[in-house]
Amino acid sequence: MTDRALAVETHDLRRTFKGGVEAVRGIDLWIAPGEIFGFLGPNGAGKTTTVRILCTLLPPTAGRASVAGVDVVADAAEVRRRIGVALQEIGLDPVQTGRELLELQCGLYGITGADAKRRTEELLELVGLTDAADRRTKTYSGGMKRRLDLASALVHSPEVLFLDEPTTGLDPASRLTVWDEVRRINAAGTTVFLTTQYLEEADQLCDRLAIIDSGSIVAEGSPERLKAQMGHDVVTLELNGADPAATEAAIDRLPGLERVVVEQQALALYVEDGAASIAEIVRRLDRSSVDVGGIAVSRPSLDDVFLQATGRRLEGTEEDEAEAA
Amino acid sequence: MTEVLLLGRRAVREIARYPEATIPALFIPLFFLAVNVGQVTKTFPSSTPFLHGQGYAAFQLPVSLMFAVATASSGLALVTEIDLGYFDKLLAAPIRRSSIIFGRLAADLVRGLLGATVVLLAGLAFGVHVEAGVLGALVLIVLAALFGVGYAGFGILVALRTRNVQATNTSFLLFFPLLFLTPNFVPFDRLSPVMETLARINPVSYVIDGLRSLVIEGWVGSKIAYCCLVIAGLIALLTTLSLRAIARYDRD
Repeated sequence: MTDRALAVETHDLRRTFKGGVEAVRGIDLWIAPGEIFGFLGPNGAGKTTTVRILCTLLPPTAGRASVAGVDVVADAAEVRRRIGVALQEIGLDPVQTGRELLELQCGLYGITGADAKRRTEELLELVGLTDAADRRTKTYSGGMKRRLDLASALVHSPEVLFLDEPTTGLDPASRLTVWDEVRRINAAGTTVFLTTQYLEEADQLCDRLAIIDSGSIVAEGSPERLKAQMGHDVVTLELNGADPAATEAAIDRLPGLERVVVEQQALALYVEDGAASIAEIVRRLDRSSVDVGGIAVSRPSLDDVFLQATGRRLEGTEEDEAEAA
Repeated sequence: MTEVLLLGRRAVREIARYPEATIPALFIPLFFLAVNVGQVTKTFPSSTPFLHGQGYAAFQLPVSLMFAVATASSGLALVTEIDLGYFDKLLAAPIRRSSIIFGRLAADLVRGLLGATVVLLAGLAFGVHVEAGVLGALVLIVLAALFGVGYAGFGILVALRTRNVQATNTSFLLFFPLLFLTPNFVPFDRLSPVMETLARINPVSYVIDGLRSLVIEGWVGSKIAYCCLVIAGLIALLTTLSLRAIARYDRD
């Protein structure tokens, strides 16, 4: 922790919409300057509402929030000067060209004339849109729009950058490009607060993350720590026709075995140390003449963390990840 | 102020890039001018007293001017922007929210000046001459454009309050009767008693009357004064309501 103010700090932040929907139910956050912090959760978990409050677009119903040390309610104008915002709905004006949009955005942040032109060139270069700069944004692909939106959030070199689901709807290649850009922006000193419903994105990109479900934070920490807290490795045995009961009997009372979960055509063995257990597992299967199709050791994933914290898996994510891989 | 200029310039750029949104809006008033004049020229020859020696086109021109400038374009542009999320981007920038409204209205002024000029030129081609002279013609264009600015506030207000494209698109239907419960075809004293009463309480009548006086009577101080007063009131009212609506946007 440095002497600088926290990039984001919230205390018991709440937002209830008309009709009584409690979108955010008492969120506490501390994000240090320089972090890439992720908010991981399914649709409707309260991610966007939280971001809109932190960006001064929505007042909280209760609780406090400050960004770069400035209260979002008491001094919204100052917060706006210090943050960059790329929301889930890509905020682009279809009538303008990429260059015009960035120059206007510069102007709105008080950067004008030659400075605005120079900054626009820099940003077009940064997001690789120099060649498309003079085309109207309505002709851009989804990935190009995202990148231009990202660039437009950076005109004033903000202290804190908010990205609400920056890669939702992007193809895998564009997603990787956006990740690279986020890393580069962060390396240049900008704190990044991003929301995502992709496990892999949270895992790859974030220094620290909070899992949010139904308006509350249910787990928080670095991806490694969250996974380590699960306390075990997973050894998966592909049954490939082998009898599940016989297989289970063969590895009964294996040292370090915590739990066995029977899945379709596979057994998941939760063990203390996967690498150390594997030789003993193979010996026992051999001794019992159980012929399994394959053995794999894996670390617990964020999905396991999510499952443990919420009681269900993050829906649809596995398909998305398969596409991304 | 810089913000208003920047946002205004962008809105003007929008007008230039979407001629398909502006040209039909000009076609309708020109069409009405031609058709109405064609239909009633025999009924109201230039010897008709209220025409002051001019053709009926001179009498109709102010109505066409008002149709030319009364558009929901700004409201539609705004509601589209809300829909696309660009509006949020503007709200998250360190600018005064009012500059978003004033930027739009600045563009409406430009649009109004262009539209009114085109319609006036068409009127001149129809043989209309502006009794109040060149200065009168300029005042005519400016007043018409300012009426357009006031009217645009209505679309902007509906856009902010409903955030709905269809509602904004049909918002002019609420304003439409006000354009017709007026002495638009004949003077006040030729209307039926009921119509005359309605027309006299309808402030838009005094806009038509004022603009018309410049064309067929010359400078009539009281009529110009009422016209200016109504336009100023319209701008003040709708701009105030729009500013309040944007200040309260997502603030409850």
